[in-house]
Amino acid sequence: MSADTAADAEEGFLAGLTRAEQGVLAFVAALLAALGIGLVTGGLGPTYVLYLIGLVGMYVLLSFGLNAQWGYTGLINFSVAAFFGLGAYGTAILTADNSPIAGGLSPVLGLFVGLALAALLAVIIGIPTLRLRADYLAIASLGLAEVVRLIVLNEREYTNGSAGLRGIPGFFEGWPLLSTFPQAMPGLRIEIVPGSPIVLQQPFYQALLNVGLVFVFVGVTFLLLRRVHRSPWGRVLRTIRGDEDLAEALGKNTYAFKMQSFVLGSVIMALAGVFYAHLNLFVSPGDFEPINTFYVWIAVILGGSGSNRGAMFGGFVVIAIREGTRFLNGIDFIAFDIGPLRLLAVGLIIILVMRFRPEGVLPPQRELIWPSALDEADVPGPEEAQRPHATEGGDAS
Amino acid sequence: MSVLEYLANGLVFSSIIVLASIGLSLVYSIADFANFAHGDTMTVGAYSALVTFGFVGGLGARFLGLPLGFFLALAVGIAVAALVAVITEKVIYEPLEVDSIGMLITSIGVAFVYRALIQFQFGSDFTEFGIQVLRPIEALIPFGIRMTLHDVAIIGSAAILVAGLHTLLQYTDLGRKMRATADNPSLARVSGIRVDRITLWTWVIGAGLAGAGGVFLGLYNQISPRMGFNILLVVFAAVILGGIGSVYGAMLGGFLIGMINQLTPILTDIGIPIGIEYANGIAFVIMVAVLLVRPNGIAGGTGAGT
Repeated sequence: MSADTAADAEEGFLAGLTRAEQGVLAFVAALLAALGIGLVTGGLGPTYVLYLIGLVGMYVLLSFGLNAQWGYTGLINFSVAAFFGLGAYGTAILTADNSPIAGGLSPVLGLFVGLALAALLAVIIGIPTLRLRADYLAIASLGLAEVVRLIVLNEREYTNGSAGLRGIPGFFEGWPLLSTFPQAMPGLRIEIVPGSPIVLQQPFYQALLNVGLVFVFVGVTFLLLRRVHRSPWGRVLRTIRGDEDLAEALGKNTYAFKMQSFVLGSVIMALAGVFYAHLNLFVSPGDFEPINTFYVWIAVILGGSGSNRGAMFGGFVVIAIREGTRFLNGIDFIAFDIGPLRLLAVGLIIILVMRFRPEGVLPPQRELIWPSALDEADVPGPEEAQRPHATEGGDAS
Repeated sequence: MSVLEYLANGLVFSSIIVLASIGLSLVYSIADFANFAHGDTMTVGAYSALVTFGFVGGLGARFLGLPLGFFLALAVGIAVAALVAVITEKVIYEPLEVDSIGMLITSIGVAFVYRALIQFQFGSDFTEFGIQVLRPIEALIPFGIRMTLHDVAIIGSAAILVAGLHTLLQYTDLGRKMRATADNPSLARVSGIRVDRITLWTWVIGAGLAGAGGVFLGLYNQISPRMGFNILLVVFAAVILGGIGSVYGAMLGGFLIGMINQLTPILTDIGIPIGIEYANGIAFVIMVAVLLVRPNGIAGGTGAGT
């Protein structure tokens, strides 16, 4: 993921970074280094490391989705877990062994069904709430997400209820070449630190495939979002976030724009859900719990609302909280339950960010501007006059 | 079960929801944000009362099937909830420089911190006050109503608190200032009202009522760290239904949502297969439906105000 960020910046970029950016880079590098050390000393299995990276990718996707709604347009969506869960259940119901409806179908079909379900739910939630003031959307979306969770929990003949769905195949099941890739690869044994060899076997290659898949998902989503955010469409969204009345006065149908943004973000969240189902191979109603929604919110507000790089950073932090507290539990002298600790960390981060850095660690800066426009603006002199043009100018249609 | 019994249950549950929704609505109108920590403030009240009740236990004579110690515990629950809310306002909300959405998000963090601290201390399991379960009141059984004296105590206490609030709002100086501040904070400020002090009083009253609601919820059901958060959405539904920011709307909305919640089993009785497990879901769907036709809620936009 850090490679992505790095590639996004210009050559010799370290000097051009703000202090926050350097700090974030150091944090992510330290985290990756810790993972690397754990890996070579045998403390962490290579398959588990890949699994963690896959989870980071999943949170990055979820944050991207929320960013498209909250960061771009200012929509407070508290039903992230519902869209994530629908994506996961959409594909699971078609592909899982114990699915009460279908089962055994291709994950590619599941992908489309998951995304379609999410788009449908987004429209259903959006119709009554997107016209109203912002905090209604927050409350109503949280409530309707709860309705979705209740339905999944109670309609056993369709969803298998609290037992969840098991036996979900990997995403590449049935693909030529890729479906047999893990079996075909040779088992490897690498010994970097003597005495703790790294053994690479079939599960490792399976995990490698998953990481590759999430990289593709994240990459495609990132490019798409960057493109649309800088487009006239994205500019209208930013205007709506800044001053909805202004957008209305300029003749924009703000309701339609909000709906498009809401559906786009929700579909991206469902994409994360689809990936999760084929990573975890098991889904349950717990995936719909509201806490999952707030993990994603942390990732976004900590990273910086509207910032895609921030979303990536947030993804790292959330996994550090989620999986890091799991490690604490393994340490003997920490006697207490880690559930509250995780909740406390989540709560404190939200409060501290809102208190001391409400714009987030990596607020969107140059992301909003076409690089060429920035180059022109860097010419000394007309800088002040140029920049507002680059960010707000141009007629959106 | 008879319809009368559903109605009786509805009345008890409504009393709890009304107490919770008044506080939420008060804070909404004066501090101007949707306080997601309100449910966990109820939990704080319930656990404070639980601890107090552990000390004073069976103290004193019995009144409505409850030892006087319970009413002492109730008072402590109210006081601690109010105190915690005031400290939170001073330490966290007041120094914030964010808009109402930022406040909303912050309050979610506050809710998590409350709940995490309670879980550290008490674990995540269910518990209860340990007050002897009563038999239903004999006189009501012929009507098909199974209701205990505890239920009567909940309804009565809620009625007293609501009446007290009404008196406060309508007939006292503080109440007039609160209404003025809710209507127009800037105008209130230039009229010489000390808005900061009024805001603090609003937190005290709102959180105190939430604390009472939490104690009664604990008496009615059970006590657990998630109890407040679980009921928060129902309370929001009540507040939105009544019209955000309107105290009397919140009373009406709380009454309706509480009733509807407990009347859900009737759907099954008349052949619609939607069970009690969807009671909360129905509350949200009603809320959204009301928003569609009347975006300001039942009492909103009539100028009734706080």
